[in-house]
Amino acid sequence: MALSDIAEQLEKSDPSLARYNRQMLWEPIGIAGQKKLKASRVLMVGCGALGTVLANTLARAGVGHLTIIDRDFIEINNLQRQVLFDQQDIADQLPKAVAAKKKIAQINSDVQVEAVVADVNHTNILNYAGGCDLLLDGTDNFETRFLINDVSIKLNIPWVYGACISAMGLAMVIRPGITPCLRCVFETVPPPGMNPTCDTAGVLGPTVNIVASWQAMEALKLLTGNINAVSRYLFSFDCWDNRYQQLNVAKARDIADCPACKHHNYEYLSGKFASSTTTLCGRNAVQISQPAGSKINFEQIAVGLKAVGSPSFNKFMLKCTINEGQGERQRQHELTLFADGRAIIKGTNDASVARAIYSKYVGA
Amino acid sequence: MAVKVRIPTPLRQLTNGVDMIETPAGDIAQVLQHVCQKFDGMDKRLFKQPGELNRFVNIYLNDEDIRFLENLATVVKDGDDVSIVPAIAGG
Repeated sequence: MALSDIAEQLEKSDPSLARYNRQMLWEPIGIAGQKKLKASRVLMVGCGALGTVLANTLARAGVGHLTIIDRDFIEINNLQRQVLFDQQDIADQLPKAVAAKKKIAQINSDVQVEAVVADVNHTNILNYAGGCDLLLDGTDNFETRFLINDVSIKLNIPWVYGACISAMGLAMVIRPGITPCLRCVFETVPPPGMNPTCDTAGVLGPTVNIVASWQAMEALKLLTGNINAVSRYLFSFDCWDNRYQQLNVAKARDIADCPACKHHNYEYLSGKFASSTTTLCGRNAVQISQPAGSKINFEQIAVGLKAVGSPSFNKFMLKCTINEGQGERQRQHELTLFADGRAIIKGTNDASVARAIYSKYVGA
Repeated sequence: MAVKVRIPTPLRQLTNGVDMIETPAGDIAQVLQHVCQKFDGMDKRLFKQPGELNRFVNIYLNDEDIRFLENLATVVKDGDDVSIVPAIAGG
């Protein structure tokens, strides 16, 4: 019997499969692959530009369970490339993970989505990664990527790296024990200020879509067991100049003296390189994290903030524009505070300024 | 014919947007020295110290990582392609 006939019969017995008809007709996926997708659990770390494309694609493809973790809220300049969000989400002050869950429910209500509004760091990532079949990179910083890399090796879960800036992207599949890991390829994180950010170099929507779609394609292969089709190269995309390269990194695992995959020394997961403040890529903003378990009383903090601004809050976050100083020394910062005590302070790249504002208005 | 060196987008702020330059053949060290002499600031982006590349920048000769060839001593012939691939953060 032809695959199309089998698919038709199966759709009759299980109408929920009808939406995947075109995908099941692709023989390497077929009916068996579709069932594997439905049984899959995927952790998506970050739900910005790459993350929204990944979540959108995997939800439409029928991945059974998505855990989406993101620490951020939505801004108007996100909408140019972050495909799951709209103007109403901004008006509603929804965190990205919550807005993504809401949108996916409209796209494919069969997909179970767990939305987590939190900063992923070495204290909490294992709680989310355990039991997953795949980890996906939708982050915007090296520290979290190397953290995902440590977790992937420790728990023996594959992950798909992706990154982009302006018209350039990089992507690679990491399969612990089989391929090189990210630290085999890029041994260290660039020091602050060494690389341009989204703020200085910009980023184009199609670059994001190309890189994230490549990640999603590899994710489908991994989740459906089509291992032989999975890329073993570092992919480089120069989307403006139409130059696409498959860079050979296969020997990196043998030659690089990798602390993560060769010595199982998980320096990022141990917190050795963890920071409590992070300058956010291209945002003129600093994030301040708090140890896991912190709880914030928005009402109480809003009272104190009324002296310097007009705070507003919902159950997810509090926002307030803070005006300090007078005349030439006048400064304006925007504080966004989340229920777990984490804050994003806009209007500075200086961690000490951000810490000062936090301790003054939130309390350290 | 010469060696083509591809400059990635994140480094083009240093090259006034130039995406490729041609250098004489030699070894990778000589090729990169040529690039660094031509563009101010490139030296710090590529090298930790003289003779040692930054560990967040990879150099590929015709899609092969030079770390798995002869590193900076890898011979580069006319017609070869050298790509500079820095780690990038965005997403």
